Amino acid sequence: MNAITLQELNGRVKSTLQFEMPDAYWVQAEISGINPSSQGHCYLELVQKDTTGKTFLAKAKANVWRNTWLKMKPYFEAETGETLKVGMKVLLQVNVTFHEVYGYSLVVQDIDPTYTMGDMARRRKEILDQLAKDGVIGLNRELEIPLLPHRIAVISSATAAGYGDFRNQLAGNAYGFRFYVKLFQAAMQGDDVERSVIAALDAIAARRDMFDLVVIIRGGGAVSELSCFDSYDLAYNIANFPLPVITGIGHERDDTVADVVAHTKVKTPTAAAEFIINRVFDTAQVLETLGRRLGDSVAERMNAEKLRLERIAQKLPSLFAILKVRHEQMLENVWNRSVTGVRNILTSRTHRLEILEKSVAAADPALILKRGFTLTRLNGHVVRSASDLKPGDRLTTVLADGSVESEII
Amino acid sequence: MKYEEAIKRLEEIVTEIEEGKLDMDRIGDSLKEARELIKLCKDKLYETDEEIKKILEADE
Repeated sequence: MNAITLQELNGRVKSTLQFEMPDAYWVQAEISGINPSSQGHCYLELVQKDTTGKTFLAKAKANVWRNTWLKMKPYFEAETGETLKVGMKVLLQVNVTFHEVYGYSLVVQDIDPTYTMGDMARRRKEILDQLAKDGVIGLNRELEIPLLPHRIAVISSATAAGYGDFRNQLAGNAYGFRFYVKLFQAAMQGDDVERSVIAALDAIAARRDMFDLVVIIRGGGAVSELSCFDSYDLAYNIANFPLPVITGIGHERDDTVADVVAHTKVKTPTAAAEFIINRVFDTAQVLETLGRRLGDSVAERMNAEKLRLERIAQKLPSLFAILKVRHEQMLENVWNRSVTGVRNILTSRTHRLEILEKSVAAADPALILKRGFTLTRLNGHVVRSASDLKPGDRLTTVLADGSVESEII
Repeated sequence: MKYEEAIKRLEEIVTEIEEGKLDMDRIGDSLKEARELIKLCKDKLYETDEEIKKILEADE
């Protein structure tokens, strides 16, 4: 029997591996454990699961030595905006090693962040597709922001610098608008984000009549770690929320799922404050314009009335003049007619007098006598009829030039 | 009255005056109402509403 020591055996495995697989390999794996050490190294545990995610198909330890880790960590975070964490799918460049004591492990040389981002984007897309299928994806965006959005519910962590900035900006706005801000605390980083933000949303929903808007903000700060906002449950809550939700969780990258379902996304807490102040400014403008229109329209109306009155007043003198002339004419006519009338009357009266005169004159007995008639009197009485006479009567006959005495025989 | 309602009513009044639909007697009343609405809106914009403050603070 040719026995060798364990050390020798392991040594042979080590050499074989070194000889057969000296190259670096790019390998896809999922992180199932991540342990930074006090000396600055980082120990990872990598797995590959089957499609159900329940069975392990492969496992390996991976060491990121200090020098590599010092470069890799910030690089990855800068590229993805995320810290490496359990559950992430990564693409690592590794060398395979076998150590007599510690066994098989990988030595990590490099990482490709694009792969991880691709995986995150894929997961985000899956969630968004599901939300679209559920018919909720556009709901919050359809809500109208009130004309005067000045009562604001803020979801943030109290310590986040973002909240302070937001508050101060609103309180100190240049136009003097008044705002009412109330904080509903929640974790903005780490594992508790989903639960605590949903709890804050529930608390606000119970008081929805007290607010016009919800703002979810967190400070810029160091690393973003936005993947906690890619949660389906959180997004579902936001989408169905009865008030418009503004997200200002701060990022220039691709939107998180929460950003997509929210009413409006802004980059920073400052931008969120600006957004709100601008809305109120627009409303104040509308008010100014209405005030101006009011003033203008009333002035115009007054002017029109004034003109109307003036026009009437102008017409009055001429109308009056016309009236005056007419009146004068009328008076003159009346006068003329009166005078004529009187004259006529006088004329006719005179005429009658003349006629009377003539008649009277014509009735003068002297004229009758002159025509040859006589007047006979008997004892002073005028005789009109022969039958009044008897023989022996002594008559006086008046002629034009005297009288004669006679006796009837 | 709520801000939105006030603005809507204000718009109504201004339009009525602009379109010459009001006679001189009613313009006086409408102008008074419009002024009051404007004041209401301006207060909501620029003055602190103690009611709102109280409600928000009371709820802890």
